[in-house]
Amino acid sequence: MVYFGNLKAKKGEIHINKDRCKGCAFCVEYCPHDVLEMSEEFNVKGYHPPYIKDEDKCMYCQLCETICPEFAIFVTLKDEEEEGEKSQSRS
Amino acid sequence: MKKRTGVFVCHCGINIAGTVDVKKVADKLGKHKAVAHSEDYVYMCSDPGQNLITNAIKEHKLDSIVVSCCSPTLHEKTFQNAAKAGGINEFQSEIANIREQCSWVHKDKEKATIKAEKITRSAVERVNKNESLEPISFPVTRRAMVIGAGIAGIQAALDMANTGYEVVLVEKNPSIGGHMIQLSETFPTLDCSQCILSPKMVEVSKHENIKLLTYSEVQEISGYVGNFNVKIKKNPTFVDPDKCTLCDECTKVCPVLTSDEFDLGLTGRRAIYMPFPQAIPATYTLDDKHCPGLLPIACGKCADVCDPGAIDYDMKPEIIEEEVGAIVIATGFDLYEKEEMGEYGSGKYPDVLDGLQFERLCSASGPTQGEVLRPSDHKVPKEVVFIQCSGSRDPEQHCAYCSKICCMYTAKHAMLYKHHVPDGQAYIFYIDIRSGGKGYEEFVQRAVEEDGVVYLRGKVSKIFEYNGKIRVWGVDTLAGKDIEIDADMVVLAQAMRPSKDADKLAKLLKISIDKDGFLQEAHPKLRPVESVTAGMFLAGAAQAPKDIPEAVAQASGAAAKALAILSQENLFHSPQVAKSIPNLCTGCGMCVDVCPYDALSLKNGKVEVNEVLCEGCGTCSATCLRAAIEVKNITPYQIYEMINASLGG
Repeated sequence: MVYFGNLKAKKGEIHINKDRCKGCAFCVEYCPHDVLEMSEEFNVKGYHPPYIKDEDKCMYCQLCETICPEFAIFVTLKDEEEEGEKSQSRS
Repeated sequence: MKKRTGVFVCHCGINIAGTVDVKKVADKLGKHKAVAHSEDYVYMCSDPGQNLITNAIKEHKLDSIVVSCCSPTLHEKTFQNAAKAGGINEFQSEIANIREQCSWVHKDKEKATIKAEKITRSAVERVNKNESLEPISFPVTRRAMVIGAGIAGIQAALDMANTGYEVVLVEKNPSIGGHMIQLSETFPTLDCSQCILSPKMVEVSKHENIKLLTYSEVQEISGYVGNFNVKIKKNPTFVDPDKCTLCDECTKVCPVLTSDEFDLGLTGRRAIYMPFPQAIPATYTLDDKHCPGLLPIACGKCADVCDPGAIDYDMKPEIIEEEVGAIVIATGFDLYEKEEMGEYGSGKYPDVLDGLQFERLCSASGPTQGEVLRPSDHKVPKEVVFIQCSGSRDPEQHCAYCSKICCMYTAKHAMLYKHHVPDGQAYIFYIDIRSGGKGYEEFVQRAVEEDGVVYLRGKVSKIFEYNGKIRVWGVDTLAGKDIEIDADMVVLAQAMRPSKDADKLAKLLKISIDKDGFLQEAHPKLRPVESVTAGMFLAGAAQAPKDIPEAVAQASGAAAKALAILSQENLFHSPQVAKSIPNLCTGCGMCVDVCPYDALSLKNGKVEVNEVLCEGCGTCSATCLRAAIEVKNITPYQIYEMINASLGG
């Protein structure tokens, strides 16, 4: 089911710079929707970087980006025209 | 010393005299050594009957009376007043119930007469040991509380506030308005629901006598009629309404998308939101269940864009204490969940809506600006099936009661659908049409005749998805045919049930609920707006399913009842309350534990009675092992004497 109205879920992309990761797993721990998980693979430093388990759940809040100590994960938002938020369209 | 008691035996027409030989009862009791005078009369409660008692008291110098008649719940007060008029204390009057407890339940006249004699004799023994008492007077806190701010709560609050008393209006949602503000148009006049309710909401918000507490819940209550102390928890909205300028920047950056409660999941909303444009108070609420910003490391996007700095993630719940004299409870209703309707898809088909969702769909300010569209593909539905009594009148599986309003609102829904989609077809499955109300029957007829709605008398056994449509299997019992309709949309007239958590609130307030969970009125006919607890009144759909005019009428009734308390400086309480005998009390506290009214407490190792809270139920007296607490005028000694009188001869 698609909601009525123009209010859409935010769109974006998660980027993981695997080789910068030191495997602290903060992003996995604090993601409010459990989008990320630690992978089995090794990066150049020998750590396990995270991978995107379920991007559909992601609301692109950028919390992972904020807390990553190594700047190894960041989110880019796709600029979508969000004309007429719900409350405006009704006024 | 024996008293000079008068015994007055009532015939109650043939209600008593048909089974009990009243003359014989009067004669026999006349011979009792404590009885100075006895007589019978056809209607003791009539004016001549009361005069007869008053005169007999004076003439025979009586100091106490026993009236053998109906239940004391009916005429105890009448005869207490007659005693007072005769010049004796009103608590020197006792009732011997020989109607409900004797004549109505027996057939054998001889045995019934003996039983009536025994009942009367035991009352004579009781009154013999009665003390003269004076009613207990206590002051009233002259302000009121209304719980629930739907149409009933709003009406009750306005009625009371307009007479000059202060009212605290408590609402658990972020905005007042209740379910009525969600409706599109109202039957039978089709006026816009928001247009008629929003002026009242504005009046509430601007009224100098109304203190509005939204997003708040009653947590604790103590006290008694005239003097309640209520603790209210005000949940944090995380937005300071005084600083908020309603610029709407916060919702633009909030990354959360969740379903909107006001539109019943038809639209989405952000974690920070305003419930609807006319919301009162007009401010945003941050929903902490969905907001990621309240985590230790925060999202914080809304606070970043909020120029006036209105967003405060550290806001904590507040406990507010209010002293009030009377409480009106108007907690309203919720719809019976679609998920409960296994036969109708358990709520898993998006195009099967409930009544309130369809209201939002038709509403000019709704998710589609009043266009009727299918939630699944946003197309105009050409065939719509409305199913009445969905969950109502089904004692085996769902609710046994009739939800009362569904016949009318389904007719309205079908009508509105036809107004929006003139080439569409509306079918209504119904069991009966119950359109009792001013202009209601004409309204249903209009749906059939002017708007061509097809009414099919019968139930729908099953609905399921088939080829992108909703296949409806029903029956037309008038034509005796099975019906199969491939509908684009199905609207279920879901049963009304008491609002969620109304049972918890009822427990907190110590008011009873009925078998369906609605709040129980004190008397179904004569006290429909009072609860069984003094000082608490009921209004709206919390008491039983009802439509808007009925809810408003009951709210005004409840307000009038509450005002009757607030308008007095002092209230009076029956003095037939518990009395402790300190010399016998060991301070074990068993009575304190069993008291249902919290009227007892221990002080310096002895029990103490709060006479205003005590209802004289006698549980303490029955529990006490040392007879150290007793109820005035029904002491253990009196009870022994009454038992003696009942068993003897």
